[in-house]
Amino acid sequence: MMGPTTRRRKLLVGVLALATAISAGCGRGGDGAEESGGAETLTWWHNANAEPGLGFWKTVADEYHAKNPNVTVEVVPMQNEQFQTRIPVALQSQEPPDVFQSWGGGQLADQVSSGRIKDISEAIEPWIGELGPAAQGWQVDGKQYAVPYSLGVVGFWYNKDLFSQAGISAPPATWEELLGAIGKLKAANLTPITIGGKDRWPDAFYWGYLAVRGCSQQVLKDSVTNYKFDDPCWIQAGQKTRELIDAKPFQKGFLATSAQQGATSSAGLLANGKAAMELQGHWNPGVMRGLTPDRKGLGDKLGWFPFPAVSGGAGDPKAALGGGDGFACSYKAPDSCADFLKYIASVDVQKRWAALNTGLPVTKGSESAVTDPTLKSLLDFRAGASHVQLYFDIAVLTSVGQALNEAIANQFAGKATPEQVIEALNTAAKNR
Amino acid sequence: MSQPVLSAGARQPTEPVPSDAAPGRGSPQPGAARRSARRAAEISLYVGPALILYVLFVLLPIGLAVYYSLYKWNGLGPLTEFIGFDNYRRALDDEVFRGAITHNGIIVVLSIAIQGLVGIGLALLLNQRMRGRAALRAVYFAPYILSEVVTAVTWLLMLQPDGLVDTLLRAVGLGDLIELWLADTSVVLYTMFVVITWKYIGFAIILFLAGLQAIPQELIEAAAIDGAGRIQTIRRITLPLLGPTIRIWAFLSIIGSLQLFDLIWIMTLGGPANASNTMATYMIDRGFQRYEFGYGSAVAVILFVISFVVALAYQRFVLRRDTEGALTRNVR
Amino acid sequence: MTRQMVDYASGPAIGYRTRARLSRALAYTAGLMIAALVLVPILYVALGGFRTTGQLAADPAGLPDPWVTSNYTEIATSSAFWGQVGTSTLIAVLTTAIVVALGALAAFPLARFEFRGRETLYLLFTLGLLFPISVAILPIYLMLRDLYLLDTALGVALPQAAFGIPVTIVILRPFMRAIPGELEDAAAIDGCSKFGFFLRILLPLSRPALMTVSILAFVGSWNGFLLPLLVLSDPSSWTLPLGVANYSTQYSEDTARILAFTGLSMLPALAFFLLAERRIVGGLSGAVKG
Repeated sequence: MMGPTTRRRKLLVGVLALATAISAGCGRGGDGAEESGGAETLTWWHNANAEPGLGFWKTVADEYHAKNPNVTVEVVPMQNEQFQTRIPVALQSQEPPDVFQSWGGGQLADQVSSGRIKDISEAIEPWIGELGPAAQGWQVDGKQYAVPYSLGVVGFWYNKDLFSQAGISAPPATWEELLGAIGKLKAANLTPITIGGKDRWPDAFYWGYLAVRGCSQQVLKDSVTNYKFDDPCWIQAGQKTRELIDAKPFQKGFLATSAQQGATSSAGLLANGKAAMELQGHWNPGVMRGLTPDRKGLGDKLGWFPFPAVSGGAGDPKAALGGGDGFACSYKAPDSCADFLKYIASVDVQKRWAALNTGLPVTKGSESAVTDPTLKSLLDFRAGASHVQLYFDIAVLTSVGQALNEAIANQFAGKATPEQVIEALNTAAKNR
Repeated sequence: MSQPVLSAGARQPTEPVPSDAAPGRGSPQPGAARRSARRAAEISLYVGPALILYVLFVLLPIGLAVYYSLYKWNGLGPLTEFIGFDNYRRALDDEVFRGAITHNGIIVVLSIAIQGLVGIGLALLLNQRMRGRAALRAVYFAPYILSEVVTAVTWLLMLQPDGLVDTLLRAVGLGDLIELWLADTSVVLYTMFVVITWKYIGFAIILFLAGLQAIPQELIEAAAIDGAGRIQTIRRITLPLLGPTIRIWAFLSIIGSLQLFDLIWIMTLGGPANASNTMATYMIDRGFQRYEFGYGSAVAVILFVISFVVALAYQRFVLRRDTEGALTRNVR
Repeated sequence: MTRQMVDYASGPAIGYRTRARLSRALAYTAGLMIAALVLVPILYVALGGFRTTGQLAADPAGLPDPWVTSNYTEIATSSAFWGQVGTSTLIAVLTTAIVVALGALAAFPLARFEFRGRETLYLLFTLGLLFPISVAILPIYLMLRDLYLLDTALGVALPQAAFGIPVTIVILRPFMRAIPGELEDAAAIDGCSKFGFFLRILLPLSRPALMTVSILAFVGSWNGFLLPLLVLSDPSSWTLPLGVANYSTQYSEDTARILAFTGLSMLPALAFFLLAERRIVGGLSGAVKG
């Protein structure tokens, strides 16, 4: 698989995820601010350990050094899955990385609460406006601790051929149309939806989007901030989810299917024409490319449509569920860290990054560099979105987010009711 | 091989231990204090290195786990939020954790019953003069040598829907038995048990075979001459004499089942819907995936206490008859 | 191992002969059936490596047609694979050496000295059996970090050895204890010091038990997963199990390649096993019957 820098892949609780995490590889690098004489080293942990991202970030580091000869950027690419558990230990160590991958939300808040993240609000104040509201996901208590370079939305990736084979003329725009399309696909003996149930978070996309459709923006914001999920719209999200589960649209054995590993993963099934659609993030085309023998994924047959409108909900049909990637500075980082983030967020760098077609850029004026047609349609959708709700498991503290994902996965396995999902969520919130 | 936990301190060896202290015993001699100081130094020279390593990397971490377990701690900052036994209360209240304990219990019982029976039966069958026995023994034992990772990756591929297992079952006309091996919450634990059995049954067979071969043949012959049937001989003579071996194996199997981790973690992550969670996978999930290191430590301590209590009970009720245990029978 | 076998064929009556034949037939049938069940996964991996992912998808139970050797040759000629073999070997040898040396030294006085607190000390060691390494992994990690042992072979070997010490002592002690005291007396008369007795007489006599503990330590270390995963962050210093786990996710689209890698990674363990089979089996039975 190539490495689209998605926050998702890190969550893959794959074999390596577990502990490599705590193997912070401390002791290497990270000798930043202490150096005298104006010469500084920035240690930079990022997750693009495969091309094209790998080479791209290296170039960026070299360019920055050329422009600022007193700052050397030491790049440490790291497997994406390793981050989740690596970072906490690295932050505890004497030599944390100066700049490191951050997905914002509650996880960042976790880190901030330990006092190990640098508050860069002041340094970035002059230019952060260029990023628009996107940067808010990387704030904690109104202060900026990291800067995003990518922001994507979740939506349905589908196989155009299979849709027309089942007689579906246009992508479903409403919930009812989606259920109807599922019926048609089943009638045509096709697997309507593929899902990576083993990893849990793909299940949470459905629940999360249905909450975004059912809850007003104010309720979403309040609940996530106060950890109170008492509005009835939260239970309704689970009830709608149940409608989908009852339609039995998923592939055989979906509870044990991983999201991104192998031809029998959910992305692999879609890429190889074994299923008609998948609700996934903007990184999915990149993942799918790696899972077919010809390394092309579905090619031209791949289409995208946003999560359908749900009637009766208080949510905005134009609201989106999504998230992105950013970089944070640790507490020991020299001041040049914020300046380095500014360089990464510059239109020039963002444009060149966008041209890799592995994600959607953030800084205004860089969107034009996206050339892939499906990614362009995502970009249009994002531009028209009333707001982008950060994935709930990321938005809240990690322990709460993981408990939520687990509860939703239990519902998909028929082991939890919509009420029990909320109960589990509230219990985890209480224990946070 | 843990029987000494069980019999530690309780028994003296059947024969007097030859000891350099022996001559001095009974009548205190002048200079005894100096000599005992020398002996203490001597003993610590022998035991010291092992003890240091053991204390540093085994006992100290255990102590630290107990310490962490009293705090609410996300593994990031300093330990400040002391919450007493709340983590323990929470764990024991958690249905998922109780489910994990139940799963461990099921694996314990199944392992003893099925692996024990198959192992003993096969060992009895193989315990006769037959060609190729060494080869068979080697085959049974091979999976024990393979790593958990290799085992997991292999079985994961084989158990895919319409994978090798399904294909083979259909080929022999047992297609009706096919299940969603890893995706069905009511099946997955038993699937995992099959994989565990595949990996560890060889160990049982080897142990039992060795135990059988240590039984003096004269006893069997005498029984045969007395007109005892094969079954009778097995029941009256072989099995009782194999007892110590069986009890030791069972102990190892129980402890192993209680600590089950790698295979399950790689193959199912304890899922789907926690249907294959064990105490250890639950612990890693909470501790590492959820940044709840204090809580995870409490789960670790509970896991340890359960193992400890089981070991004590086992020694009290099962092993007490074996004096020095199976490990040293017929040493000479 | 071979000294006594129940040979029913030598019995006096014809009935025994028939029964023995029946019993043997039964033994072969059951024995071979179980052997087949044990072998299927291993063969699936070994043969699967000679196929393509397409072949595997078309018929999971088929034989290679045509035989593809590129999967194996590519991996067998990659330095990453051999690097992992090397690291695994280094760590396993280190672990085994530490465990056996320290374990034997400690077992000696525990087995053959009389001193106060001996049984308490012994009990302390045996407690370790009840504590799997996974539950103490976080404190161990933090400690290794403070000792600057992360990303080193010793960082894996030392904790593995520490967790191997209990079982080593538990096996060695009764063995050493059972060696007749007359030997020790004779050695003393010959002017042998205690350590000399330990080194020249006790250790050689304990060889079967030493074999057992070495093998347990070696196999345990060779197969270790969680600890190396945490300690060795640099892919160039990974052990084989880490390599297998990583390979199976990195090339997840290519089942045949995963099987080839898995198959090759089985080889060292299986080769070691075949070479030492008699010793291993003898050693394990030694642990049981001496």
